[in-house]
Amino acid sequence: MKTVTIDPITRLEGHGKISIFLNDHGDVENAYLQIPELRGFERFCQGRRAEDMPQITSRICGVCPVAHHFAATKALDDAFHVKPPSAASKLRELMYCGYFIYDHILHFYFLGGPDFVVGPDAPAGERNILGVIQKAGLDVGKEVIKHRAYGQKITAILGGKATHPVCGLPGGVSKGLAKDEVQEIKDMTKSCVDFAKFSLKLFDDVVLKNKNYVGMIKSDPYNLETYNMGLVDAHNKVNFYDGLIRVTDQKAEEFLKFPGKDYTKHVSEHVEPWSYMKFPYLKKIGWHGLKDGKDSGVYRVGPLGRLNAAEGMATPLADKEYKRLYETLGGRPVNSTLAYHWARLIELLYATERATELVNDPDITSKNIRNPVGEPGEGVGVVEAARGTLIHHYKLDKNGLVEKANLIVATTNNAGAITMSVRDAAKGMIKKGEVNSGILNKVEMAFRAYDPCFACATHALPGGMPLEVNIYDKNKKICKTIKNV
Amino acid sequence: MRTIILGVGNPILGDDGVGLKVARELKRRVKNPDVDIDEAATGGINLMDQIIGYDKAILIDTITNKDVLPGEIRRLSIDDFSSFHSFNPHDISLPEACKLARQLGETRVPRDITVFGISLERMPCEFGEELSDEISKTVPKTVDMIMSELDEDKKDLVEDDD
Repeated sequence: MKTVTIDPITRLEGHGKISIFLNDHGDVENAYLQIPELRGFERFCQGRRAEDMPQITSRICGVCPVAHHFAATKALDDAFHVKPPSAASKLRELMYCGYFIYDHILHFYFLGGPDFVVGPDAPAGERNILGVIQKAGLDVGKEVIKHRAYGQKITAILGGKATHPVCGLPGGVSKGLAKDEVQEIKDMTKSCVDFAKFSLKLFDDVVLKNKNYVGMIKSDPYNLETYNMGLVDAHNKVNFYDGLIRVTDQKAEEFLKFPGKDYTKHVSEHVEPWSYMKFPYLKKIGWHGLKDGKDSGVYRVGPLGRLNAAEGMATPLADKEYKRLYETLGGRPVNSTLAYHWARLIELLYATERATELVNDPDITSKNIRNPVGEPGEGVGVVEAARGTLIHHYKLDKNGLVEKANLIVATTNNAGAITMSVRDAAKGMIKKGEVNSGILNKVEMAFRAYDPCFACATHALPGGMPLEVNIYDKNKKICKTIKNV
Repeated sequence: MRTIILGVGNPILGDDGVGLKVARELKRRVKNPDVDIDEAATGGINLMDQIIGYDKAILIDTITNKDVLPGEIRRLSIDDFSSFHSFNPHDISLPEACKLARQLGETRVPRDITVFGISLERMPCEFGEELSDEISKTVPKTVDMIMSELDEDKKDLVEDDD
């Protein structure tokens, strides 16, 4: 048997590793995704001042600092028994929309989109943003860069700093919005709405009008019938910043709805011997292994999970697109993993519309942006990170120091589903011991749809995640190694 | 010539934060109005946003490579990296970001992007704010290397003017 090994130059330890086990017939029996896990965060937090948590936790992850910042801030609201003034909540949510705008644009155009716009079988060197621009034109490239920067700018104006915000305080925010800043944000959100509409049109033209792509979206290896989870408002519409956690079943019926602070009653974490990653599941159903269906407690979060767990979007244009997605793909819920990309663009449109509403609200320039805090206690904060439900839970002592901290990050919530999607994609590409050469990208596409972020703070000179696929024969011996470097 | 020096790293991930400590020390020592010094806990496209508009960028970062002993400091050009990786799948690489910007008509990408890579045995995966003893020793060395590089740049500039 031949072994192909190519070493990456740097960051060797950053490998995502996929192990594929074949059975006697040379077909896939199992596949596991292993990722490096950071350890010791809970201990690291112990004894720290509670009000430092929004800053510290925003450092965990170079990808979603804003999500961690506000999950932490909301956990502190709860722990200090304080409700922020309405203007503070709106400022936080407006900033949150800015984060969704830049994060979703980055994912679609830089990471997920190239598979569609350039093509899933195109050489790896072309499947990137440069390939997208070559295909869609330089002007589109400029618009992408401009609007991603607008999202960043909105976040920076409100957060004090572009990437690691410093504005969230228990009971409110530290910084209000000046009149000239309001005008600047208004101009940007107006342009962002148009850009989101354009992006959906592009998705229409490039993906939905291509029969092969639609076929791929609907194909078996990219389908999972799990439960779905996301935050919803009082009308069961998607909300990123606040609301109740809603879980729907395989028929899109409500299965659970609960406030964030009750998460330990409904969600438990399963440990597998081969992974540091924990696998959350619905307690009411239980853990029955890595399988989908109504008898398995596995659920999905993130753009498609959120849309499935809700009954619509709270803004008019996005709601129209929401309906169109379900009409096109056969009603709620949609279980195609690749539909995450479409759902993401609908959320982009929602974020731009919602930001427009918020910045036009007269309350947004109010000076009343912080309420006094009460005695320290225990608190849970839940937000929707761009990639799914994010939970922070702290227990404070009487001096306001952290005694215990527990975090369930979005990608952990998706751990079971991602592992299954990787396995199913691998199954489709390996038959009777024959490994299709396109396996790496097809497997990558399966997990890229979730936009996973491995709760990891390593920054530095990033590129795509180095990925190594090891294929084991029936005797558990490595028979092939493929790397994307 | 306007230069930006960026310490890149995560302040709460042990040795990964070494670049930030080097930047802080340089900030104390460098008194040159044409040199800006900052910290970045990010990468790829956000990192590019921070270096745009300068003639030269000096990044201080950690590297892992089995051919470089832990604690060694390598001066590299951005072109020396045939691949840039991190744990973070939600971004593009800095060379890609620069290429993209140039292709879109951005003329302010620094001509010279130099990386001082401090070699770690492996990427830290345990949270903490302190550097290990071994990596602490690289801080003054890296600072000296960058101080001499700035001196050289200054000399070159004077010669150019002649």
